[in-house]
Amino acid sequence: MQDPIANVLDDLLKLDDILACMVARRNMISVMPTDSTDSFKPEINQVWDIIKRAMDDVFMVIGEYSQTGLGEMDFRLQDYEVLFYVFPDTENALVAIVPALANKGLIAVEMENSRREICKIMDENEKEKMTVPA
Amino acid sequence: MESGLEACLGMSRKWDAREAGREVAKSSILNLNEPPKFFLLFSTIHYEADGGFQELLKGVWDVLPKGTPLIGGTVAGFLNNYGCYTRGVTALAVSCPGMDVAIGFGNNTKRNPKKAVKKSVSMIKNGLSNSRYKNKFLLNFVSGASVMKIPGQGYTRVVDSGFMSKFIMQAFGISQYLLQKGVGREDEIFEETANKLPDYHMILGTSIDDHKGINNYQFYNDHVLTNAVVNLGIATDMDLDVCTTHGMKQSDVHFKITKLSRNKHIIKEINHKPARQELSDILDWPKDFLNDKTMTHTIIYYPISLKRHGREVPVVMPFILKDSIMTPCVIDDGEVSILTVSGDKIIEALDKNLQSFQNFTPAFGLCSTCMTILDTLGNQINIVRDKTSSFFKDTPFLMIFCAGEGTYSPRKEITYANMSFNISAFGKQRQLF
Repeated sequence: MQDPIANVLDDLLKLDDILACMVARRNMISVMPTDSTDSFKPEINQVWDIIKRAMDDVFMVIGEYSQTGLGEMDFRLQDYEVLFYVFPDTENALVAIVPALANKGLIAVEMENSRREICKIMDENEKEKMTVPA
Repeated sequence: MESGLEACLGMSRKWDAREAGREVAKSSILNLNEPPKFFLLFSTIHYEADGGFQELLKGVWDVLPKGTPLIGGTVAGFLNNYGCYTRGVTALAVSCPGMDVAIGFGNNTKRNPKKAVKKSVSMIKNGLSNSRYKNKFLLNFVSGASVMKIPGQGYTRVVDSGFMSKFIMQAFGISQYLLQKGVGREDEIFEETANKLPDYHMILGTSIDDHKGINNYQFYNDHVLTNAVVNLGIATDMDLDVCTTHGMKQSDVHFKITKLSRNKHIIKEINHKPARQELSDILDWPKDFLNDKTMTHTIIYYPISLKRHGREVPVVMPFILKDSIMTPCVIDDGEVSILTVSGDKIIEALDKNLQSFQNFTPAFGLCSTCMTILDTLGNQINIVRDKTSSFFKDTPFLMIFCAGEGTYSPRKEITYANMSFNISAFGKQRQLF
């Protein structure tokens, strides 16, 4: 059965300016799009390793401040920007890599929609877990 | 609603154009007991690549009752009762016994805006000539600016080459006439339309893609048009009103536009010096700070308060041509000032606009706003949606993100602005004692 969060990522990745996206936390990518890194735009391959290392450092900050209302972070590395949309009160974030010159305003709206959808799925999963008898 | 009005908002986020068309039409008319009097359809540019807009319209007409007047086009995004989106398609369908509707269109808006207005307005006048309803409304939706592809640079907002800038400025008229590439001329179209229909309340929206300014499309029944104006005219017994507000504040930075191009679209000199460098100096920006990379993060936060026929026209400067600055509308020379804008001021402008409708019970609303507001607020645009939603409550509303917008009403002067909120509401004006 397909992971509904992966479906949300698949949808996000269809936007031209989303070069890669995932749900992640420090040192761990929790959910990838259905085709894993194969569905990332090829241009990302050359910078993926360095971006991933930088991401882990950002997740240290997210881990530190997510409980105090840290909502979004981003950094620019070479010709790319990495956007982090933190799931409230967790150390997890929806992460997207976009071209540095992309219109971030338009992307931010769809990132927010995806964050909300994923939060809803997470909540439903949580509720299901609570109702399943041991 | 006691008038028998039914309004319903639909949308689709499907990627396939045909399926999205079907879904948006189905969800828009689902709760209507009567066939819609009109159908407004707005889409993001994405269907250009995922089946095309003709397929989107085919999908709509698979479901929509034949003969329903339909207009619309591409926008940078939209917000409505469901949320905020920069991908997808939305529609507003309205049925109402106390309402007459006509639609019109005119082609070649960039080449000959007056001719396009003449045709589109005459279709509205003819269509509503026998209406007995006194309150009149017009949605004026115009093809927006489209950028020329610069050899060696592609699609860009800053042209640094002196030769190429000179060529573009000299070819501006030719390009506008032959290729219909360049500014949208929506300000001229709106002004001409208001002159021809002075007793209408009007709202202006401008068609655009995802802010790249490469292609935009307009919809007229089952036709996909380019470089066109499409109008929706309504005569009704309902109350209606329109209002424009913007959050731009005058700064103490003033300067004088001393040289304009012949078509009054390009600022060549400020204070008798080349416009681009002088603007940078006035704003204390480092040399070469204004480039393609910084453009969207800098200049849009420094709109200028231009003048046209004595009216204030607050606009964002969209293109730099070597030493000159292109404006989105026709302007006059003389003393102008730099404006500043912030997220807070934008939200205040929305509050002020909604406040003007405080004695109004809305039945549905149609709003246009600027895509640069999306750039500024990003995902915080949900604040705009939440505030608009608390005004319209359960009644359908639709706000489209455009590239130039405005309103006109017989009581207020015409307003054309960037970074503004333009709200039209239909319903019942509460009587004040």
